[in-house]
Parts: sequence; structure tokens; C-alpha cells
Amino acid sequence: MSGRNDREARREERLREDEAAGAGGRRQLLIKVGSAAAFLVLVAVIVAVVVSQGGGSGGDASNVKETSAVDRLLNGIPQDGLVLGEPSAKVALVEFGDLQCPVCKGYSEEVLPSVIESRVRSGEATLEFRNYTIIGPESIPAGAAAVAAGKQGRGWEFVELFYRNQGAEDSGYVTDEFLTAIAEGAGVPDIAQWNVDRKDKAVVREVEATTAEARELGFNGTPSFAVEGPGTKGLEPIGTPGSVAALEEAISNAS
Amino acid sequence: MKLPREATLRGIATFLATFGIGVATYIAIADSGGGSPVCVAGGHGCQTVAESSYSHVLGINVAVFGIVGYALLLLCAFLRGDGARMGGFLISLGGFGYSVYLTYLEVFKIEAICQWCVASAVLMTLLFVTNTTRMLGYVGREP
Repeated sequence: MSGRNDREARREERLREDEAAGAGGRRQLLIKVGSAAAFLVLVAVIVAVVVSQGGGSGGDASNVKETSAVDRLLNGIPQDGLVLGEPSAKVALVEFGDLQCPVCKGYSEEVLPSVIESRVRSGEATLEFRNYTIIGPESIPAGAAAVAAGKQGRGWEFVELFYRNQGAEDSGYVTDEFLTAIAEGAGVPDIAQWNVDRKDKAVVREVEATTAEARELGFNGTPSFAVEGPGTKGLEPIGTPGSVAALEEAISNAS
Repeated sequence: MKLPREATLRGIATFLATFGIGVATYIAIADSGGGSPVCVAGGHGCQTVAESSYSHVLGINVAVFGIVGYALLLLCAFLRGDGARMGGFLISLGGFGYSVYLTYLEVFKIEAICQWCVASAVLMTLLFVTNTTRMLGYVGREP
């Protein structure tokens, strides 16, 4: 009798152990599966990050972005045409750029804000945008629109906002609708007059003249920079300095 | 350290996910009206972040993805079993990873802080901790 009870007790204990071992094995398996799935989720996050970096192909007239960021960048700095900064500044830094150029957009977002804060806002230098239209046919109406915005004191807002909403090169996004959306976002006060000015032959000729000037200076890409000040002999080309420090050094050397 | 009861973890996750849905919905509604969320603490951070090119992915406001993520996390908090434990862990891991990226963008790229986005990042981080604890502590065990 007692022997049978012992056998039953041992059997129940074995069953419990087997059940516990099974559950533990299942748990280990699920944690392994979870780890593999976690790896896949992290890969998915990286893909999402890459997609969002390219996110928004730009050139969208119905979705003009970063107006307030541009306003803050330029707020309180005097402008004359496409020249940004105090007229009394000793040094003039000139950017020869194409509004369709993605590298210029990169400069506009990553490099020039620091130079504007450190050297232009302080009154040490002016920063001028001159059109160097090398990307394609759409660059010319874009450049003319910037010059026309400059006639109403909003040239730099136009340039900066255009860069921040730039579309793919010569993809057809530089339409009247897109240019008008940028001009409105830039705060051009008289859009009707701006429309007249940007189609004015004299304005288009100005765009062509600065493009010719860039070629004469030996530039073959955008953005290219030139600097003029007491330490230079006229407008001296400095190419495409790769950093804020290099541009600041060029300004210091020219002053 | 004693592991909290699963019911407690599910309760915490329910609260956090509900709160997250509220925050993400507010951001999405403010954006859909052509405006931006209002920073309660003042400043222009929320407007700057909302107007940045990073606020939309494939034309959709990031907050909409947040609503979907928090809703799925709420569902996982309601449900019992290994599917919900694993699902909550994986969704919150994805949400946490993307929140880290968005916070990086705010600090280093947009150079503005939106307190609603920070609130969402904190909620997602807490959800990740809660769901990871639930998964590691209870997966493979009886519901």
C-alpha cells in the first residue's frame, strides 16, 4: 500500500518537473524569438529614419515649410536688394549660388546661419547672394524671383525659404504657383508688383550678368564664394570653403 | 528586486498609452488646421518643429504614426498572453527608437524643442521600460 503511494508521489513529482521544464523551455524560446524580432524592429526603425530623411521631396507650393526659422535667422538684420547686413560693414562676402542647387541648400542650412550670426549680425561683414544659374532653365525664373523679392526688402527671406523648400533639380517644380508661395512665405508685401518685377527683362538680364561674372571669376560650380574688403584687391574668389571656420577666416583675412 | 505584478504593469501601460494618444492627437489636430501646437511654457519651439521638413514623412504628420503606435500599445495592454507581451515590447521598442531619432533632430538639426514632442518621447520611453519588464518577466508563463 505504502509502496504504491510512494510510486504515485514520485510520478506526480516527475510530471511537475517535466511541466516546469517544458514551460521554461518555451519561455527561453520566446525570449530568443523576441530578441530576433527586436533586431528586425530596430532595422525597421533605421529604414524609417532613412525614409524620413529624404522625406518630403520639396518643391511643394501647398506646403511651404520653415518660414518662422527663416524669419528668426534674418530678423533685425538690414537688407538692400540681395545684400544682407549693415551697409557700413568693412567686408563683403558674396555667394554665387543657384537656387536649384542641393549643395547650396546644404550651405544655407548648415553653414551660412552660423556666419550670419557671428559676422553679419555683428556688422563686421555683409553677405550678398548673386545668381549663378548653372543647374538648368528653371534656375533663371527662380533667380529673377529672388532679385524681385530683393526690390521689396525680402530678398534673403526668399532665398533662404526657397532653399528650405527646394525640389528636385529641373523637375518642373519652379512654377508660378511655387514661386508665389515662396514669395508669400518670405513676406514680400506687394505680390502684384513682385510678379511684374520678376518678369522684367532688366531683372532677367541681372541674373544673366551675375552668372557671367561668376564664370569670369573662374567658378565652375555652386556655391562659390568671393570676398572683398580692405585686405583684398577687389573681389577675390575663395572657391567653396567647406566650413564655417573657413568662411570666417576668409572674412577676417579680408578685413 | 521584486518584479511588479503583470496586472500592475498592464495598468501602467494602459495609462501611459492613453496619455500618449492624447498628446499625439493634439499635435496632429493642431497641424491639420494649418497651425502648430501651442507651447504651454511659451517660446516658438513647437511652431519651429511643426514647420520643419522633418515633421512629415511621406506627406503624413509624424504624430499620426504616434497615434497608431499608442493605440496598438493600448490594445496590447488590454490583452493577456504572450502575443500581447511580445507585441507590446516590439511596438514600444520601435516607438522608443524613433523617439530617440526625433529628439536628436530637435536638438541638433531643427535646433528647437517642442514640449509636446518631449512629452511623447518620455511617455514612449516609459512604455518601453514597462513593456520590456512585462515581456522579460512574464513571457512563457500563464496569462
